[in-house]
Amino acid sequence: MNLDLPLVFAALMGLAILLYVVLDGYDLGVGMLMPAADAREQELMVASIGPFWDANETWLVLGVGILLVAFPTAHGIVLGALYLPVAAMLIGLMLRGVAFEFRVKAEGWHRGLWNWLFWFGSFLASFAQGLMLGRYITGFHPGFGYYVFAMLVAASLCGGYVLLGATWLILKTEGALQKKALGWARWGLLWVALGVALVSLATPFVSATVQAKWFDFPRTLALMLLPLATLASGVFVWLATGRMKRGAREPDWTPLAATVAIFVLAFAGLAYSLFPYVVMDRMTLWEAASHPSALKFMLVGVIIVVPFLIAYTAFAYRVFRGKARAGPYE
Amino acid sequence: MDHSDVLLLARAQFGLNIAFHILFPSLTIALGWILFYFRIRYARSGDPAWLATYKLWTKVFALSFAMGVVSGITMSFQFGTNWPGYMQKVGNIAGPLLAYEVLTAFFLEATFLGVMLFGMNRVPGWVHIFSSAMVAIGTTISAFWILALNSWMQTPVGHVLDGGRIIAGDWLQVIFNPSFPYRMTHMLLASGLTASFVMAGLSAWRLLRAGEDVSARKTLRTGLVLAAVLAPLQIFVGDLHGLNTLEHQPAKIAAIEAIWKTGQGVPLVLFAIPDDEKRRNDFSIEIPKGGSWILRHDANAEVKGIDSFAPDVAPVAPVFFAFRVMVGMGVLMLLAAWTGVWATRQGMLPQRWMLWTFSGLTFSGWIATLAGWHVTEIGRQPWLVTGILRTADAVGGPSGAQLGASLTGYILTYTVMLIAYFVVLTHLAGKGTAA
Repeated sequence: MNLDLPLVFAALMGLAILLYVVLDGYDLGVGMLMPAADAREQELMVASIGPFWDANETWLVLGVGILLVAFPTAHGIVLGALYLPVAAMLIGLMLRGVAFEFRVKAEGWHRGLWNWLFWFGSFLASFAQGLMLGRYITGFHPGFGYYVFAMLVAASLCGGYVLLGATWLILKTEGALQKKALGWARWGLLWVALGVALVSLATPFVSATVQAKWFDFPRTLALMLLPLATLASGVFVWLATGRMKRGAREPDWTPLAATVAIFVLAFAGLAYSLFPYVVMDRMTLWEAASHPSALKFMLVGVIIVVPFLIAYTAFAYRVFRGKARAGPYE
Repeated sequence: MDHSDVLLLARAQFGLNIAFHILFPSLTIALGWILFYFRIRYARSGDPAWLATYKLWTKVFALSFAMGVVSGITMSFQFGTNWPGYMQKVGNIAGPLLAYEVLTAFFLEATFLGVMLFGMNRVPGWVHIFSSAMVAIGTTISAFWILALNSWMQTPVGHVLDGGRIIAGDWLQVIFNPSFPYRMTHMLLASGLTASFVMAGLSAWRLLRAGEDVSARKTLRTGLVLAAVLAPLQIFVGDLHGLNTLEHQPAKIAAIEAIWKTGQGVPLVLFAIPDDEKRRNDFSIEIPKGGSWILRHDANAEVKGIDSFAPDVAPVAPVFFAFRVMVGMGVLMLLAAWTGVWATRQGMLPQRWMLWTFSGLTFSGWIATLAGWHVTEIGRQPWLVTGILRTADAVGGPSGAQLGASLTGYILTYTVMLIAYFVVLTHLAGKGTAA
């Protein structure tokens, strides 16, 4: 068997990171929306993500785990350059992770504190991830402008997660809360539009390699399908939420599906820009890969385990299908 | 900031993280199985007291599990960010073992925990029981991979050298390395003891507060009986583990027993203040020839001392004291558990002073577990992977200032989390199953 193992693991890592962004994205987004809702709505919002958040976060461990295990040299460079944002993200994830438990069980002012920490942790983790993305795609360039750029990307990733969270709530709730979520989704969408535009314009500007890959006629024409499809998805979310706001009956899952499409398309564009580099213009995935013996041993595990993983994840989403109901530990 | 300062900060940060983290798995590994037992008891009897018990302890489990998950994520990042030399040298062994943990354990426990916590009224009873079994199995599988990796770092076999880095020759040998069966059993029993004392301790606290509570009586008894069975088993397994260490890591044993000089008929040091600079014991109380007898089962046998391994020796004092804390806690837990089983026979309620004692011992398992891990981890120094990689050669990455910032952040976060954990646990125990 002559498998290109580094390529296989790069694909797996990409998949794990994409799944993480979409899945933890919606529950981080719901966390960031907490202050906009009243106490009763907050219970419903948390109930809608309660059974899922832990497994969602596991995709991060898997994605970074594959980076660490399959591309150890790249892991050192990437996470070394991102040391402080990573630490901030971890602290954010810790605070919000335990806040799920504490906000229900604590009493008095402690409960208020944990509600606040739940929001703060969600925001800190999302913002830090955006910073990491912004620094990563500009190849960790020093310079004031690059940091401003990273901040803008961070703000728009927060907007993106808010969009995911809001469209998740459109699917999982009804009545007044669903109505509120429609409004939140539209705000999130504006931020996403800004973020996607920024990243698309900046990456070719920063890297000649990226520029050459996108602006190469006639390939450019085919590639333009990607931004066009992204734009179409965005317009769809805008129109669908608009119609729903005015009381029209629409399937409640379509805004979430279109939002996921935006994330998948943006991710595909980014992956196309970067390939075959794991560190922009510095290190290809083959240069960074670890020893075949380790990769082979892991691939066996992946092939055996992933079907089960998909099966029981599908099972969990089936168990908790339909509108969320408040009240933990039924 | 020079290399030794960065090394010190990186070790402090990792030590803080791993010490904080291990508290929660050491509770949840066994508590998962205890919950499964409660769930089965309820399913068979239909007794609402069992259901109430199950629900209360599920809350403790969920809270502890979340603490373990989030601190575990932090650790998984640190392998790469703070110990690049570790991944460079042995990443081809450590990486796959960690990846297997994520694939076979993390997703399993996380997904089924959702069903277990929120799905009782949404799925048939047997599916719910199945889910709680999956959570317990998941936590145990997780322990399996982590202990396989740690044991390999203690007693590495099954690998080959490939151009300056280590790769696996035989994965089965790597996983089932010489110290693994002992360390795994020792840790599972430690978790059982930790969970049973937490259960007995919080139940005793509940009985002190409420006077009478059917569920708290059940869990007090369950915890004490479980501890009374596990404590002697643990002493037996611990001894086997020690003999295994003597065979494969004699330097660690020399540090544990504070034996400085190799010789025949070495004494057993009961207490002393080991002086690492002067390489001798002050104020020592010894049993002549006891060391040779205990370690070799022959009063005149030769035992290797620190001098045989110098300069690659661990700091003796912390290992020596941590070992005594662990053994002391173990003996105390054995006595408490046996007395407790006697005091709760035939449905009797122990006297208040005894309930206070059990409450005081709620977290005794944590102290023993932490002490035990200190022995095994500091005892391996200066090696990170015995004979293969030194701790000092593995450190790298962030600057001292960055480390200072992240370490401060972690200390603050962990302090807040730990305080909140204790407050909520005390509160949950105080409310009992009425909650």
